[in-house]
Amino acid sequence: MRKTLALIHRELVAYFSSPLAYVVLTAFLFFNGYVFWLIMAYLNDPRTQAMTPLKLFFGGTIFFWLFLLFVVPVITMRLIAEERRSGTLEVLLTAPVSEGQVVIGKFLAAFIFYLFLWLPTVVYVVILKQHAAIDLYKVASGYLGIALLGVLFASVGLFTSAFTKNQIVAAIFAFAVLVVLFSMGLLEQLATNPALKGALGYMNLWDHMDDFARGLVDTRRIVYQLSLAGLFLFLTVKVVEARKWR
Amino acid sequence: MIEVEGLTKRFVTRDVVDRVSFFVPEGEVLGFLGPNGAGKTTTMRMITGFLPATAGTVRVAGIDLDRDPLGVRAQIGYLPENVALYPEMRVEEYLRYRAALEGVPRAEVGKRLDEVSDRCMIGEVRRQLIGTLSKGYRQRVGLASALIHRPRVLILDEPTVGLDPRQIVKIRELIVELGRDHTVILSTHILPEVEQVCRRVLIIDDGRLVADGTPEQLRTAAAGAAELLVELEAPQADAQVALAALPGVAKVSGDGNGRFRLTLEGGDLRREVFRLAVDHGWTLLELRQTTLSLEDVFLRLTMRDTTAPSTPEEETIDA
Repeated sequence: MRKTLALIHRELVAYFSSPLAYVVLTAFLFFNGYVFWLIMAYLNDPRTQAMTPLKLFFGGTIFFWLFLLFVVPVITMRLIAEERRSGTLEVLLTAPVSEGQVVIGKFLAAFIFYLFLWLPTVVYVVILKQHAAIDLYKVASGYLGIALLGVLFASVGLFTSAFTKNQIVAAIFAFAVLVVLFSMGLLEQLATNPALKGALGYMNLWDHMDDFARGLVDTRRIVYQLSLAGLFLFLTVKVVEARKWR
Repeated sequence: MIEVEGLTKRFVTRDVVDRVSFFVPEGEVLGFLGPNGAGKTTTMRMITGFLPATAGTVRVAGIDLDRDPLGVRAQIGYLPENVALYPEMRVEEYLRYRAALEGVPRAEVGKRLDEVSDRCMIGEVRRQLIGTLSKGYRQRVGLASALIHRPRVLILDEPTVGLDPRQIVKIRELIVELGRDHTVILSTHILPEVEQVCRRVLIIDDGRLVADGTPEQLRTAAAGAAELLVELEAPQADAQVALAALPGVAKVSGDGNGRFRLTLEGGDLRREVFRLAVDHGWTLLELRQTTLSLEDVFLRLTMRDTTAPSTPEEETIDA
């Protein structure tokens, strides 16, 4: 436990001592502020049908996905690739820590940073609450959905970071995998075979977020995302163990 | 302390390390010599458990690496060749991090930090960012982090590469001092370093162990049998017979002008030759034992294009 905490602490030090973290944080806030403003402008138009702003904010727009698909690989790309490149992985893995501990520590650090990115958006909820009735349960479930996406996306990013010494390659690889994961659900519309349609619907991340934003906490959705994340973390451990590829 | 048995590493087509076996008793400083690419780093990586071996076993402090890899790692302090550190961390922060990873008890950490900073002479840079340190300091920070958990075994991969001469001297002194209470394996291709620091030397070439012994033993072994050059003012035939009769002399060849080359079975016969000359009333003009430097030994063992008289197997001697 103490070793995992030490690993998390080190990764967070690395995050906040690199300019990248601040660039990502700033861009993220700027972008979310813009999206929030867009949503407000859209809903204030009398011609739009009635909708709740938070439902749009939590994954209801393509902006949400675009940014998330892009930003999580940037957060995770460094994690293992950089240790491989600089050779610190050798020092790390000759200490009495297991590959699993290293992977979990790095994953949790990335996840904590991801949550930190979202933290300032709580302000939007506070602002809305001044002007409208807000269902805090739906807000909580919306954030739960965001956290679950973070778990899944960060595990994918960590997995691709384990493959290479090059951070950029890791990021692009992660982006590609995430786009495939994301678009698989969108194929639901095209499928005619009911079994396939059902399977694709199960994987539809857009619908996942939509459910959570409406306050619908579906355990099938949680199981899907957590088990997929678990699979990627397991594969990451295996890749780190397969050092003979170096 | 360290038992290595038949250690082999095969990368796709070739054996980088081929059936290497050796034993390092507790408290020994072992020099691991070999040309670049001979398999030194790969062997060390296998001992530390970073690379899995294709075949063979490693036991450190009686713990089998295959059975309990984390147990073995806990016994070892490892300084890899390129001393990879995190440039964004401060020295003290990094040492605390290493202490936590190595499982140093929380209450002990402060004491250990003082201990290793003192020993590795990094007290004055404890608050500095690692990225701003000179190569010499980084090397010492690496060494300090390898010592933080008081390992019984230290594995140092070319610890003086890239340092200036003053820093090299300091690091060597430090290694000699560490050798008093640690078992040390030191890899290098710098021969004077081995002569200064190590009590025993392994020479590895092309993945195979070609020699194992003290620097002196290696010299003698590689010279084949030692030779003694003698120049006497004496009747040629009498002298040749008398010299050949000395115990320990395998062969005597004379050049007809009083110069003799004695091939010895071992040992030092200069005293006996001197007494022989005195007893017979001969004048001794020259008496010289030929010795090889470790450098010669190394070259003989690792250069296959020279006309080495014997095969590597024959040159291997047991300590």
